[in-house]
Amino acid sequence: MSRRVAILGAGPSGCFVAQALLKARPDLRVDILDRLPVPYGLVRYGVAADHQGTKAITRQFARLFERQGARFFGNVTVGRDVTLEALREAYDAVVVATGLSTDRRLGIPGDDLPGVHGAGRITRALYEHPDAEPLPPLGPRPLIVGNGNVAIDLLRLLAKTSEELDGSDLGPGPTAWLAGSGIDEITILGRSPAAAARFDAVMLKELGRLSGVSIAVDDLGTAGTEEGARTLEALSALHGHGAGPRRIRFVFARRPIAVEGDGCVSGLLCIAPDGREERFPATSILTAIGFDGETATAESGAAVRMAPGLYGAGWFARGPRGTIPDNRADAQALAAVILADLDATPASSSIPGDVLACLPGTVTYDGWTRIDAAETAAPPAGRCRAKITGRAAMLSLAAAPDEKETQP
Amino acid sequence: MKIAVLYGTETGNAEMLAEDLAGELEGDHDVSCANLSGFDPAGFDAGTFYILVSSTYGDGDLPASAQPFAKAVEAKAPDLSGIHFAVFGLGDSEYHETFNGGGEKLAALMAARGAVQVGERVTHDASGPDMAEDLAFPWARQVIEMAAGLVGEDA
Repeated sequence: MSRRVAILGAGPSGCFVAQALLKARPDLRVDILDRLPVPYGLVRYGVAADHQGTKAITRQFARLFERQGARFFGNVTVGRDVTLEALREAYDAVVVATGLSTDRRLGIPGDDLPGVHGAGRITRALYEHPDAEPLPPLGPRPLIVGNGNVAIDLLRLLAKTSEELDGSDLGPGPTAWLAGSGIDEITILGRSPAAAARFDAVMLKELGRLSGVSIAVDDLGTAGTEEGARTLEALSALHGHGAGPRRIRFVFARRPIAVEGDGCVSGLLCIAPDGREERFPATSILTAIGFDGETATAESGAAVRMAPGLYGAGWFARGPRGTIPDNRADAQALAAVILADLDATPASSSIPGDVLACLPGTVTYDGWTRIDAAETAAPPAGRCRAKITGRAAMLSLAAAPDEKETQP
Repeated sequence: MKIAVLYGTETGNAEMLAEDLAGELEGDHDVSCANLSGFDPAGFDAGTFYILVSSTYGDGDLPASAQPFAKAVEAKAPDLSGIHFAVFGLGDSEYHETFNGGGEKLAALMAARGAVQVGERVTHDASGPDMAEDLAFPWARQVIEMAAGLVGEDA
């Protein structure tokens, strides 16, 4: 009988592991679980709503379920609905690809003041994750701390005009929140010098198309590397862009030492390159300085074996660094390790039960296609999708027609 | 006709399209499909029509799997006269300055070594309404027709 692999997490890393496994061994039984009723994880809830081209990657993942025989089991929480031990008994290999979603804190005095928010918390709410906290008021002068693409995503969404969000899948609540934000000025501040910022040049260039902003870049400095030179070139092209009412200010090489405020954020105290203290007034602080959480311990390299038959993939394995294609390369390396391990271990002679198919309340891939169809059938003007936001509504839509109550 | 579909990919989208395209053409032609990462530029054959499928990554760059190929072509500078190829690019107009830079760079790389491009280089937009295969399949039939009188003939 075919060997079985369970993958925990239907985000890009889990799907890429499944893809690499099934490409090599089309006869494998690959089951992908997710705690949400819907698949694709970060692609649905982390990739920016206005980057639909990036989200097109889900066409590859859909094929796993539509043509390559993988099964989806949504709405399954490991540890509650099924134990990891039970999965490890029923499957030859179990891959943990649950990602990292906890915002890293600034770790300075005042970082717990009302008005300090993690980027993940904000983007989950913007992209209507069912577990998201409500979107908070940001006031007229939010300050973003971070030098990576998550910081740029936040900045771009906060800076866009309503028209510039056309074609996205941003929901009505987040759309109204952005339209009513009343933002005058956004400061984006990082510890590293400009040349060492981890922004992709292409993400910076995208900001040069915004119509409602005026952009200033302080402290450009000099670059020592080719990549740094590219970043500086993109940043200096942005300096002076636009004459719109919303001001954007890039600040580099500032080390935050305290969030100031009496009951609520009023500013960020930093150490400037010359060693002096410098205050940046702010009505809210959004931290985009990375993600935390439990990660796997690697035996070696990118392919993480945690125990016999138990593996880690994606950010769970490598930590919160690396793009979607970086994680695809890792997934392919991990799949090769899993396949070699399967070949080196004899298949169990007993036939394990289909532990997931027995679980009540799971969402199958067909269930997801019903949710997907409902979301894309009649999106509002300017939107390509209207996400179903609540678990109960998702589960109700996902239920097969013959499982629903029929009229007498 | 002997056709080789070669792809440069980074997220897998170009790979999926290349495999779909090869599958589509298989019934009527002798088709192979391979990743550019494993293709030796010394292995080009005048009796084969090359359909190159490439995404764009980063700042209008070639995708990761096409980069070793590009380096090898630059280093070995093979004579590709008599080789016929067509390019189908994938890009995302959200990044409009560099939209489809990958396909463009690949076409220039081939042409610089004397290879002859057949037909128009087509550009799929990931942020647009069309499916890549809906553009690629009819385009491929068209360029294959155009190549029919060219491939394998003495230059």
